[in-house]
Amino acid sequence: MKTIILEDIPLITLVGPPNSGKTTLFNYLSGQNYKTVNYPGATVEYSISKIQKKFNFNANILDSPGIISLIPNSPDEKVSVDSLYSHPRYGVPDLIIVTVDASQLSRHLLLVRQLIESKFNVIIALTMTDILQRKGFEISSNLLSQKLRCDVVLIDGRSGEGVENLIQIVDKNIESSKLIGKKNPVVLDSNLDIKYLLNSYKEIEEIEKEVISCPKNAGEKINLKRANRQLKVLNEAISGNNQLDQSTLKIDKILLHKFWGLGIFFLMMAVTFTSIFWLAQPVMDLVDSGFGLFSYEVIKILGNTWYGNFIANGIVGGTGAVLVFVPQILILFLILGLLEDTGYLARGAMLIDKPLSKIGLNGRSFVPMFSGFACAIPAILSTRTIPNKRERLLTIFIIPLMSCSARLPVYALLLAFLFPANKAWIAGLVLAGIYILSILSSVTVAGIVNKFKNKIINAEDRSSFILELPAYRVPKFGMVITNSYHSAKMYFRKAGPIILVLSSVIWFLTYFPDYNPKVDTHNLSRDQAIELQSSVRLQHSYASDLGKFIEPVMTPLGMDWRVGVSLISAFAAREVFVSSLAMIFKVTDDKATLQSSMIHEMRKATIEGTGQKLFTPATIAGLIVFFIFALQCVSTLAVSRKETGSWRMPAIQFLMFTSLAYIFTVVTVNGLRILGVP
Amino acid sequence: MKTAAELKFGETGIIGDIDASHPSSRRILEVGFTPGQVIQLINISAFNDPLAFSVRGTIIAIRKNEASCIKLI
Ligand SMILES: Nc1nc2c(ncn2[C@@H]2O[C@H](COP(=O)(O)OP(=O)(O)O)[C@@H](O)[C@H]2O)c(=O)[nH]1
Ligand SMILES: [Mg+2]
Repeated sequence: MKTIILEDIPLITLVGPPNSGKTTLFNYLSGQNYKTVNYPGATVEYSISKIQKKFNFNANILDSPGIISLIPNSPDEKVSVDSLYSHPRYGVPDLIIVTVDASQLSRHLLLVRQLIESKFNVIIALTMTDILQRKGFEISSNLLSQKLRCDVVLIDGRSGEGVENLIQIVDKNIESSKLIGKKNPVVLDSNLDIKYLLNSYKEIEEIEKEVISCPKNAGEKINLKRANRQLKVLNEAISGNNQLDQSTLKIDKILLHKFWGLGIFFLMMAVTFTSIFWLAQPVMDLVDSGFGLFSYEVIKILGNTWYGNFIANGIVGGTGAVLVFVPQILILFLILGLLEDTGYLARGAMLIDKPLSKIGLNGRSFVPMFSGFACAIPAILSTRTIPNKRERLLTIFIIPLMSCSARLPVYALLLAFLFPANKAWIAGLVLAGIYILSILSSVTVAGIVNKFKNKIINAEDRSSFILELPAYRVPKFGMVITNSYHSAKMYFRKAGPIILVLSSVIWFLTYFPDYNPKVDTHNLSRDQAIELQSSVRLQHSYASDLGKFIEPVMTPLGMDWRVGVSLISAFAAREVFVSSLAMIFKVTDDKATLQSSMIHEMRKATIEGTGQKLFTPATIAGLIVFFIFALQCVSTLAVSRKETGSWRMPAIQFLMFTSLAYIFTVVTVNGLRILGVP
Repeated sequence: MKTAAELKFGETGIIGDIDASHPSSRRILEVGFTPGQVIQLINISAFNDPLAFSVRGTIIAIRKNEASCIKLI
């Protein structure tokens, strides 16, 4: 079902601090049928939808990123604030519904005050009154409404309580403002001094005192204090409606424990990490073989023609290369979404902030770096949550060094070559070592780049870490699933076209000019003939010309043009390395035994002219090292360009990581040979 | 004068002033650390930094460096 967004109906924007219940209300009003859009040229996104039919009210509703003040503190916040004043696509909103957490009234009213001062048309949706009630307090919406001179509605977006009422008031408000006509809001002076802030707070505290009351009798209040004392958690001074959620404090005692805290954190990450791979693997295999079968069928239908091959290997194969990572990305977002929704992710950022700040990063760099193990693209997209520009750029810079999952098939092949099947556990250990090496190298690079400060990253920005640790709560699965779906869709839209175009280019390079080579197909089955043909075709292709051209570069690595060609094709997507090696070494694709027959062929291969073995433990180790460092992924470069705003960053990343890879490979191969490893 | 960065685990303090020359001072104020507020140091990260304070009914984690601009009475 597609939502049609008409621009001549009223626009209602939801505004509010993070965790105030905007998205919950938005989902209730939109029926979770929305689309997520980027502000033009920016990394900030918003969701927009029409209010569901059942509410009988025709308007667009927009969910904006959480802000705590109209005076922005980071580039992303500035985009969010600016587009409140005038949305690049929808202009000034007809009405702002600002969500206010009743249990944190004084903090959240700051934004309300600023919105009213800016002369926005505002209605307050008061959320979390249940939490306030549990603390033993009540809030009078009438009084609050009088004090602030704007409408106040109590709602609970989870159950929909109060939403009907909200709609009625919104309706009345919009009808009456139609008569007056749209007012243009005034931008707050960003140089407002601290005195102004303090004054706002003073007035807010006055209001808070009047509107919040304790309906229970005094006796119970004393009990509450005694309970607090017994728990030894809170000082008496912090009682009243400012007391904290007790279970949150208890959970934090464990999860933020001085010693256990970090251990639990790493354990949680390890579990998340392994489940990304284990849960996703069967689905990925399914996608992989599904597309394999699909392209096979395409060839069968269209024949072994150039267009048949283009559709089968360029288009279908390319789409498969994009889709194969979707399961992993979905699971990654699902788990991260759940962790975020419980409130744990903010704690994780706090735990890891200190060590990361030592190398110029930030506690908030952690989620993007972690996501980098699945795929660099969503990882780079998620750096948007880092408010400090310098730290964000540095995080983007090192993400390609995190060992993404596209490298796994490559490592699987190379490790299977090095270690026989009955010693698979050694391969497992080495794989773990590869991951650790990738973390160490990214941390080292960050440290070094940080030392050279402005030479590489062109932004000076004051480092800061101010993060609310929200109360723990049971995550909302439905919402997390919807969000994961939207994130995966975004990955697909961002990476899809690039990978598709690139795989077409690489298909072209590997297919032409000798696209219909004459081969002796005598005594061969139809499939074998096709395999032989494509192998001959590849040997005469532009890609092989390119490979031969770079052969001098490959020689110091102890490798030849054939590996060079595979490395070039791997720029479409790293795992293409495996299939292109298979093509070059004429491995007949016998699905079940592809890996073993490839290894068999690889063991036989010798370097033309010298007769030296091409694949030895030394060169294989060298290839592994190459894959650890090299930035062989055009989509990553493209996304890096998009997120940093220029080609400067991706260019430096590409040159630096690929030359590092090359140097380390030369050192590895020749070092091992000196040590006597063949 | 004592700052929030010098509070001990579990200790409370009343904010007297925010050092306006600190670059994060505005944000610190905006998240709710204002003069007169009672704050409590309720968690310390494994590496002794950042610190988590209870303020205005929520928990806010800030770096030691930032906590040092919160002057206590
Ligand atoms: N107890 C309670 N929880 C709520 C209420 N409204 C929303 N929530 C929860 O508060 C959390 C944050 O809400 P969300 O809509 O994501 O906030 P946003 O960051 O402003 O978009 C979610 O876990 C919601 O389920 C409410 O009225 N009462
Ligand atoms: Mg939200």
